[in-house]
Amino acid sequence: MSIPKNSMLVSDVMISKDKVPTVQKETILKEALEEMGRTRLGIICIINDSKKLLGILTDGDIRRKLLKVQKPFPAFFVDDVIEHSICSPYTIMADDTLVYAVALMEQKQIWDLPVVDSAGILVGLLHLHPAVKVLLGNKDNVFG
Amino acid sequence: MVNKIIEVGYGKVNKVRIGDKLPLAFIGGPCAIESRDHAFMMAEAIGKICRKIGIDWIYKSCYDKDCRSAPDSFHGLGVDDGLRILADIRDEFGIPVVSDFSDPAWGPATGEVCDMVQVPAYLCRQTSILRAAAATNRPIHLKKGQFMSPWNMKNSVRKIEAAGNHQVLLADRGTFLGYNMLVNDFTCLPIMAKTGYPVCFDATHSIQLPTSMGNISGGQREFIPYLVRAAAACGINALFMETHNDPDNAMSDANTVLNIKHLENVLSQAKAAHEFRLEMLEKFGEDNVHPEK
Repeated sequence: MSIPKNSMLVSDVMISKDKVPTVQKETILKEALEEMGRTRLGIICIINDSKKLLGILTDGDIRRKLLKVQKPFPAFFVDDVIEHSICSPYTIMADDTLVYAVALMEQKQIWDLPVVDSAGILVGLLHLHPAVKVLLGNKDNVFG
Repeated sequence: MVNKIIEVGYGKVNKVRIGDKLPLAFIGGPCAIESRDHAFMMAEAIGKICRKIGIDWIYKSCYDKDCRSAPDSFHGLGVDDGLRILADIRDEFGIPVVSDFSDPAWGPATGEVCDMVQVPAYLCRQTSILRAAAATNRPIHLKKGQFMSPWNMKNSVRKIEAAGNHQVLLADRGTFLGYNMLVNDFTCLPIMAKTGYPVCFDATHSIQLPTSMGNISGGQREFIPYLVRAAAACGINALFMETHNDPDNAMSDANTVLNIKHLENVLSQAKAAHEFRLEMLEKFGEDNVHPEK
């Protein structure tokens, strides 16, 4: 894929790490879903004590699980969140260009990219909507 | 998931390690401490059988039976007298001992004497009891309540872990099927094992018919060997059975305790089934039927 360059970086738009919804891998699924609901991003990042990214869980993952998991809801709810997570998610670095990040999201048909450093430590989250808004030139009223 | 191993026994008693692919451990004794002489006689007799079979064991007997149905049922010798007898059994026979406790206030004394503390099934989700058990710093034998789903036992485990204790043995003792009836759902065992902690099967309480006799519980002892074989084949780390030299006159759980004359036979079968299961896993590979991720 040819990647257009742009001066804007992921770090200019990403949600800072203190605002990214995170849970530990042993967090039960029900509590992870509650945390996801609080931030309304449709994603939660699973990290360890060193803040290393271990996986992600998205609304779509849950939807697919609901059609697949053959166990009662009460049992599903108390599973460790990591059991139902994507453990090798697409990620991006803070100094990658925003255009590259959005192109990657378009190519993979995803809405979020966890931002990690070279050691895999979670440093932020890039959500599609603010990224697109910036790339549109902050036009608040494109619909006239 | 890491399969945790717990070690039961402090001081000079035999240390019993439970978990993963270790040999099957036995937890057993008379339901209640009836008297010093009886407790010692039972420890001697059970110990002889366990040595003959070659199985590590933990002596179990309770000093207070707080869940009796009738107001005049035998309640136990009480904390002080009961624990003194258990302490003496430890010293005399060099074996670890376990008793349950039903009041958080009894936790410290129970943990001071016992190598393992037991949380009664009826109280398995009571935070105060779980915290008290955790505070003993002894391994905890946590029985799944007859009203609990196996996956929800994780909540009780989390309470224990939150209180700083990471030595748990989870037991199945049957699940209510309507009133006065228990059934065993053996999927309980692998589900509880998913916590990473070892699991135990309580055979003698599983055949109980709770309060089926109006003001006491009945039981169908004849099914004990069947359930033991099934549980050992399914996969357990420890087997729990209450046993008595004269079940009809036992002062607690008379309708469920196994007559000691059958103990050698049933325990031998359990040990053999456990060993065969481990051999099968070695030969054919670990259970490999897992849900698609």
